[in-house]
Amino acid sequence: MTGGLRRLLTVAEMALRELIRRRTVLVLLLVLPLAFYLIRRDQYVGQSVRSLFVGIGWTVSTAALFSTIGARSFEPRLRMAGYRSHELYLGRLCGLWTLGVALAAPFLALVRFDVANVRYGAVGVAMLCVVTVAAPFGMLIGHIIPREMEGTLALLTVVAIQMLIDPASTASKLTPFWSSREIGTYAIDHTGADYLQRGLVHAAVSTLLLLALVAVVSATRLRRRVRVLQRVA
Amino acid sequence: MTVRLEARGISKRYGRRSVLRDVNLTVRSGQIAAVVGANGCGKTTLLRICAGQLSPDAGTVTLDGSLAYSPQDGGTVPFLFPAEHFVLVGAGAGLSRVESRDRGRAWARRLGWSDVESGPARLLSGGTRQKLNLVLSTLTGADVLLLDEPYQGFDRGAYVNLWEQLWRLRDDGAAIVVVTHLLNQLDRVDLVLDLTEVVA
Repeated sequence: MTGGLRRLLTVAEMALRELIRRRTVLVLLLVLPLAFYLIRRDQYVGQSVRSLFVGIGWTVSTAALFSTIGARSFEPRLRMAGYRSHELYLGRLCGLWTLGVALAAPFLALVRFDVANVRYGAVGVAMLCVVTVAAPFGMLIGHIIPREMEGTLALLTVVAIQMLIDPASTASKLTPFWSSREIGTYAIDHTGADYLQRGLVHAAVSTLLLLALVAVVSATRLRRRVRVLQRVA
Repeated sequence: MTVRLEARGISKRYGRRSVLRDVNLTVRSGQIAAVVGANGCGKTTLLRICAGQLSPDAGTVTLDGSLAYSPQDGGTVPFLFPAEHFVLVGAGAGLSRVESRDRGRAWARRLGWSDVESGPARLLSGGTRQKLNLVLSTLTGADVLLLDEPYQGFDRGAYVNLWEQLWRLRDDGAAIVVVTHLLNQLDRVDLVLDLTEVVA
């Protein structure tokens, strides 16, 4: 294993350890998507599956937000210790993705046993997409708005827009979790594969764009502001 | 002796208030410098500029060698155990997990802290958390150490241990900058920068 990969995995491991020690937070991270799922289950189960995707997206992005803000004061120390900035944000991202997949897994099982006549594989893909996008999205908010209350309100605004906007509008494509809605439609309403394809492309583009922004913001914040002499051997 | 840290003509303003004005500091290998002054005179600001965490409005900082910084606040991760801190910081310098833990425990013992597995950082007492903060600064064997009021929460024994370790690091060639407001430490250092005088 290369030194860079080892450092990245160490950051991922510690970010994950830090998150899973917050037992109450973990419980709440499970309760929130469950509430999203149950609230409309008696009326239209397809809509509650779509709400579940948004709930998972919200919990993972909130975990990412708090993890990023919590690490702000410690990351300069790690940078001085020899980490490169991409090892820090990619490591944290890996830890958050792992947490997100672990949080989504029981909900996939819930849908599998509670909902009939949907494409379960596509439901899993939609959950994977929402986790993939939510982690860098929460991290970006955490970098740009480095205070917990303001960051949480920003996330709340985005999720509210996501839930209330007309999904057929062009503007809805600018919301981060639009991919899960498209793949959800493919999974629940048995539409054509173009829905799946559009959702996957949207998730990939959103993730790459968010990652690029996280990279720029993180590198700027953790840049060296002192001149370091290079010794000639 | 090699100049390890050189700050030249450092100025910094927060809004209309000038905190640092044309401050110079040169620290060589094997020296301890104390930065002193009244509350709000810019001691922490100067250290953060030297650590590269803050840009000065004017002036330059030149560093020769590796750097470690022990901040006044936020130097630890609340939900991680001390040994996990050692592994995390040590990995940055290419240390193995075993090496990181061994070095961390050895430094902790020198500061009179033996029970490093007592709990996550958030459950440590203020003084013990400060020891963890210090151990993390010394773990990677940096050439330049910047310590912002490193004795906060220390009892007398820990305070004495701290200075013994700083002298030891100095004798090994480290360049150390200590921010302090305790004047009785000044006879223990090689040079003093009084920011009260600089700004006044």
